[in-house]
Amino acid sequence: MSEPTAGSPRLTVGLAQIDSRLGDLEANLERHLAWVERARGQGIDLLIFPELSLTGYRLLHLTSRVALTPGSPVLERLAEAARPMAVVAGFVEESDRGVLYNSAVLLSGGFFDGGARHIHRKLYLPTYGIFQEERFFRAGQRLDLATLPWGRTGVLICEDLWHPELARRLAVAGARLLIVPSAGPGRIGGGDVPASHESWEMLCRTTALLDSCWVLYCNRVGWEEGSFYPGGSLVIRPGGEVEARAPFLDEHLLVAEIDLRDADRVRWRLPLLADERTDIEGPQL
Amino acid sequence: MSRSVLDRLSLNAPLAVAVLTRFIRDAVETSGTSGVVVGLSGGIDSSLAAALAVQALGAERVHGFLLPYRTSSPESVSDARLIAGHLGLPHRQIDISPMVDAYFAIEPEADSGRRGNKMARERMTILFDQAKKLGALVLGTSNKTEILLGYSTVFGDNASSLNPLGDLYKHQVWQLARHLGLPEQVVAKRPSADLWPGQTDEGDMGFDYRTADEVLWFLFDEGLAPDEVVERGYDEEVVRRIVSFERQFRFKRRLMLIARLSGSAVNLDQEIPRD
Repeated sequence: MSEPTAGSPRLTVGLAQIDSRLGDLEANLERHLAWVERARGQGIDLLIFPELSLTGYRLLHLTSRVALTPGSPVLERLAEAARPMAVVAGFVEESDRGVLYNSAVLLSGGFFDGGARHIHRKLYLPTYGIFQEERFFRAGQRLDLATLPWGRTGVLICEDLWHPELARRLAVAGARLLIVPSAGPGRIGGGDVPASHESWEMLCRTTALLDSCWVLYCNRVGWEEGSFYPGGSLVIRPGGEVEARAPFLDEHLLVAEIDLRDADRVRWRLPLLADERTDIEGPQL
Repeated sequence: MSRSVLDRLSLNAPLAVAVLTRFIRDAVETSGTSGVVVGLSGGIDSSLAAALAVQALGAERVHGFLLPYRTSSPESVSDARLIAGHLGLPHRQIDISPMVDAYFAIEPEADSGRRGNKMARERMTILFDQAKKLGALVLGTSNKTEILLGYSTVFGDNASSLNPLGDLYKHQVWQLARHLGLPEQVVAKRPSADLWPGQTDEGDMGFDYRTADEVLWFLFDEGLAPDEVVERGYDEEVVRRIVSFERQFRFKRRLMLIARLSGSAVNLDQEIPRD
């Protein structure tokens, strides 16, 4: 499959493992702009912020108060400030029908001058345990690829990654890079790393192994209502090896140089995606 | 051989301390306050809470208060002083006897339970007043075991602005206290609310903390039914008592019960996060 753009497949990614102030758009935008400047100094091409990074996660009845339309000046400011970097940020999206989504926007280039703007609406809204997303958001209905200068990319938000058919569909359709902004709350037990992270690392590495793609897991830090986010963001190579890992608990900019052709090289050796079958009879999802 | 329950309950202590100190620092910073006040009873819970606060904020931002009643055990006061000295805390002693006695002078028939509750609430009002005076937050010291068992005075020792220990079973409190090097004299003594002479927690409850922790963990963390817990070798009567305490005292964990009339009740319809 030929690439729609002729750019180099090599890029430097930055995972901005930040904290957000719950319900404070202005403070969070300022924080994003500060991290954009920090990232610029490190030659980053693609900068990723966590899930709901512009608003904080556990909004409950504040959700509607911090909603933005896709054409919001807040997103415009972020896109303009980040140029020529591409940036992924999380926000509460208000559709033109007044429906709220837990969305991530991928902004690449200028906001109005033909730059790419891809929005992924979270498809699986956790509503169990401490999660209440279905009370405040509607689930997205579409899975789309984003086209970046470096190649095809998929964005999945947090819980979406726990439903492996999504990453599979993106990879089969040509994504060699999966961006996973998250606000995964932490738990600890007796292990060396937060117990919650053990599951996440296993999941990210398994996805990178089975779907032969890069996985960029950007998890936030900080506290909300007595629950903490442990960070521990990861850059995973196609095949499942850990390329880079961020520390736990504190804000951090995790930087890695990646080559999307590495995904192809893994796929040549291990053609799992090419061998994928959809014609097997029996129980279906 | 599979892992024991206590082994499964044990935490990575350095990681737990790293998380809990950030919790305290975050709460103080986002509230714009100067630090915390903590009532030091000489027991392990308040000692651990104070030690975590000192790690989080530095000793000068943690204000210890010793709040004895005239029948409090002298050991409680001396252990509280030992902890304050060990942590290098600024601390102050305020005798609550005059305030408590003034009330019971007009309610002389009150039993020890009522008197104990009054003492716990007297301490709470002083801690919140001192917090106001110092521009600080009240640090809670209730652990998960006593919260689940309802072994506390509602609006007394269970009242706080923030509580770093509320998701730690007693076994985990002991573990973290030892990890932080708190004096063994405090760590090893039998837990007591010290509301009347000779009182011990385990005497009040009728079972020991280890049993309570393990049974509660099976019930709440693992989701077992009570009879499944009994099948694992715990005394049926003890399990029954633990289940009954938990059921009976749930109200202590949900402090505002508001009758909802509008479509915008502050606790149900307008669940606005405090952070």
